[in-house]
Amino acid sequence: MQFNLTGKGQGRLITLNRDSFRILLSTLVLTPFFATAQADDGLDSEQAFFLELPVVLTASRLKQPLDESPSAMTVIDAEMIRASGFRKLSDLFRLVPGMYVGSQKGHSAFVSYHGTTDNYARRMQVLVDGRSVYLPPFSSVTWDNIPVLLENIERIEVVRGPSAASHGANSTLGVINIITREPGILAPDQVMVAQGGNGVSDLSAMFGLSSSLLDQRLTIAYRADHGYDWSLINDGNRTRMLSWRGNYHPNANDSFDIQLGYSEATRGEGVVGRATSPFRDTQSGYDYQQLTWTRALESAAELRVNYQHTYWRYDDIQTHIPERFNTDRHDIEVQHSSQWHPDNRLVWGAGIRSEKVDSPLMFVVPAPALTQKRVFAHDELRIGDAAVVNAGTMWEDDAMGHSNASPRLSLNYHFLPNQTLRFGTSLAYRSAATVEEYGNTGLIADHPVWAQGGVLPEKMHSREIGYMGLFPDIGLTIDTRIYADHLSKLIFVDPVIINSAVYNSFKNMYQLDFRGWESTLKYRWNEFGSLTFNYARQQASCTSDGLPTNLWHPNIKAAYNDLLSGCPKIVPVNSGSLLLDHRLSAGLLLSAGYYFQDEVRVLDAQYTQSPMHRVDMKITRAFGKRDEVGGGEVSLVVQNLFRDTHTEYSSIPQQGRPTLDRRAYLVATFRY
Amino acid sequence: MPIWSPLSVTRSLHPRCSERIVLIRSLLLLCGALCSHPILAAPLKVALALGEERGAYLAFEAALRDALESRDDVVVLPARADKQAELIVAIGAKAADDHSGSAIPVLHVMVSRAGLEKSTRKSLQGASGIYLDQPLARRFSLLRAALPGTRSVGVLISGETPELATTRQLASASGFSLHIQSVPTPDRLAGSLAALLAESDVLLVLPDAEIYRSDTIRNILLETYRQQVPMIGLSQNYVRAGALCAVYSTPSQIANQAARVVAQFARTRKLPDYQYPQEFEVAVNTQVARSLGLAIKSAERLRAEIGERP
Repeated sequence: MQFNLTGKGQGRLITLNRDSFRILLSTLVLTPFFATAQADDGLDSEQAFFLELPVVLTASRLKQPLDESPSAMTVIDAEMIRASGFRKLSDLFRLVPGMYVGSQKGHSAFVSYHGTTDNYARRMQVLVDGRSVYLPPFSSVTWDNIPVLLENIERIEVVRGPSAASHGANSTLGVINIITREPGILAPDQVMVAQGGNGVSDLSAMFGLSSSLLDQRLTIAYRADHGYDWSLINDGNRTRMLSWRGNYHPNANDSFDIQLGYSEATRGEGVVGRATSPFRDTQSGYDYQQLTWTRALESAAELRVNYQHTYWRYDDIQTHIPERFNTDRHDIEVQHSSQWHPDNRLVWGAGIRSEKVDSPLMFVVPAPALTQKRVFAHDELRIGDAAVVNAGTMWEDDAMGHSNASPRLSLNYHFLPNQTLRFGTSLAYRSAATVEEYGNTGLIADHPVWAQGGVLPEKMHSREIGYMGLFPDIGLTIDTRIYADHLSKLIFVDPVIINSAVYNSFKNMYQLDFRGWESTLKYRWNEFGSLTFNYARQQASCTSDGLPTNLWHPNIKAAYNDLLSGCPKIVPVNSGSLLLDHRLSAGLLLSAGYYFQDEVRVLDAQYTQSPMHRVDMKITRAFGKRDEVGGGEVSLVVQNLFRDTHTEYSSIPQQGRPTLDRRAYLVATFRY
Repeated sequence: MPIWSPLSVTRSLHPRCSERIVLIRSLLLLCGALCSHPILAAPLKVALALGEERGAYLAFEAALRDALESRDDVVVLPARADKQAELIVAIGAKAADDHSGSAIPVLHVMVSRAGLEKSTRKSLQGASGIYLDQPLARRFSLLRAALPGTRSVGVLISGETPELATTRQLASASGFSLHIQSVPTPDRLAGSLAALLAESDVLLVLPDAEIYRSDTIRNILLETYRQQVPMIGLSQNYVRAGALCAVYSTPSQIANQAARVVAQFARTRKLPDYQYPQEFEVAVNTQVARSLGLAIKSAERLRAEIGERP
């Protein structure tokens, strides 16, 4: 077997052999488990009735119905992902009302609910199968590095609002919870190739293997493109990833989910004519290991222990000031859930997380390893058939001298069958990023940082009234809400002067009020077609919540006031999306997406980003049976079909903007 | 020991046994004061043959022993005394195998209908049994009561089974369209199930040891949940694993029924025909129901709706 992925964009040599992979899987991985695998054969017919069956649909695997969710939630399922034609994980969040998706380069995207973000969207928690990918030192999400393939995603639940009681620390503006498909015999092996304009060149393969006690899947992928259509910046990128997931279920009550993954990305950096940022390649690597043990207890109770380790490194060394980051995180959590009364379900648990980040440039004085602790409880109480009360809280110690409780309370009232009103209030905090508390570059950096410390966690208080209507007879679902969110103690750059040198420090300086309404309308007129419409109208206003240390300095005062006056622009007033999915005939599928967004200002940008709108289209010719061996499809995806203005924000004070011009690519998938 | 009067015997007996009371009375008249206690007739010697010493079988055996020990017309023989028995109650398929071809009448219990029909056990003279299976009509009643909006029912089979004809009949009588998907070989399960679920509102599990196994159930349940199709299971274990609901009989309910058959045999020396369980329960997985957005009635309510307790 030859298996060689060279990432130069041209010379890729890939010889995949299905049997070789099966052998690889079965020999490399957990071979001892197979010894007992077939022991249970020769079942007598009555075994069908007495069979000790594993508890498959465990409480933690079951999703809450949308009309009983304690917070506003958007679900992006596999069908929507397919219909959108997107090839980048971050792009999917354009399908969430009120979500901002940006990137000033063709890579390093960031995603933030309610806007209010800079290059590092640090106010949203992002989880993949319960594993946080929101990482120090910047409290950011490196979307390009996450070894998750779009084809492997079962669904994405996006909580629009704080949700610490359910999703843990830093679930401040919202939570993105990515749930990948479990390994098992029912997902056939698959190979996918995409080729197209602007260097789009993707390849992925998934292999599964199942035995009676162990289901496993191996995924390998390669993804590359040349970035935006803007020659002033160097933003080509390519990513290689490898992941393995196994579910070992030795008996009816225990199940072990094991996940291992690795990715490495090469990303272009550099701006034309900028000596401090020459054209160069940067390297990053990411790996994780996760073990989740779930034990089913009596009367639908469940105990779950989860351990995870994530390591991320970033090297930008082909420049005059080399930058390196190494982030290491361990996390262990125990959770117990029980249905201790037919109308009452309780989930509670505790966790401990240790984080260490090294960077010779960013932390001249090494940042301490932080050990954060948390305890949480969440209760779901039913009152009659019509009302569900969710009450919960999380208490955390952020290891930077602060401990907070983040409670949440909501009432879902089904005033008529399928008609629900939701009233909710919740509180959540965002702990300072390591850089915001401990950053210290000395004077060597282009933008010297010397965090003076003592920043308080940002605090979010959200109140909302929602309505959810299901009209199954006509295939319509309406989900709408109004909210008033208050974010206080916003941490912002605070220039300080030490020994007559200027450094960036950080301080709690603003409070923001967000008001708005959001709607999602889903219409499925028959089994062949559906339409999803998302719309958000947002308003933001800022007031002072602390003054810059050097307010006397005219430039600092001007910058401070600039955000106060420019505040309404940090969210787009109108934004939304429309996704059409239609099956024209048995083998022909057509889908189209329309995305729009008003003018918006990213916090660290020099200019506002102009309004954008664009149309994507995907035509798919399927052959064979879907999800079955021998099935597959060929798709043509055209992004920005009508060459509308899709400019991204930029912090580069030069003419022009990064744009996404029309680009097309072909995707071929084959299941075997 | 006091001399038993016919009156006191009558009182202590079940009212159903009036035929026997007549017999006992005449025997007592014959015996009269000569006897210090009533030796009415030699009690029926019953052997309980346990194939495997496992949970449900042991529970059944204990319940049947309890029910029989209070009777004076039946004697439960100690273990391994099968040769002297007049009736063997074979518990489970392994016991059924052990006693196939037995010259002594056998009552098969805790065995599925398919398991009895597959072998030659059933054709043996002097054998009968109580199936583990619930009658399909009862399972369809549950389906109608639990999911009134159902239009199409999906069924997976590995080959032709005798239940298919009844399933077809009941489906059409209930106004359901029935989708039958055959799984010729285990490796075709994935595609077959995906295709079936795409056109079904509910997956009805028919007993089939080729398809529903402890090593496939995880994948089957995950796929049904992925496609938001509820499963009607076969047992409490199915419901615990993630099926929406099931109608089932507990070992002690079947033991009660077996005790009645044994009593009848003691009286008539004839076994009745093969029969389905008479008493049953309903189990519902409310967590799964809620997650699927189904407003399902409680297990008690469904139990009441699909039939009165005997």
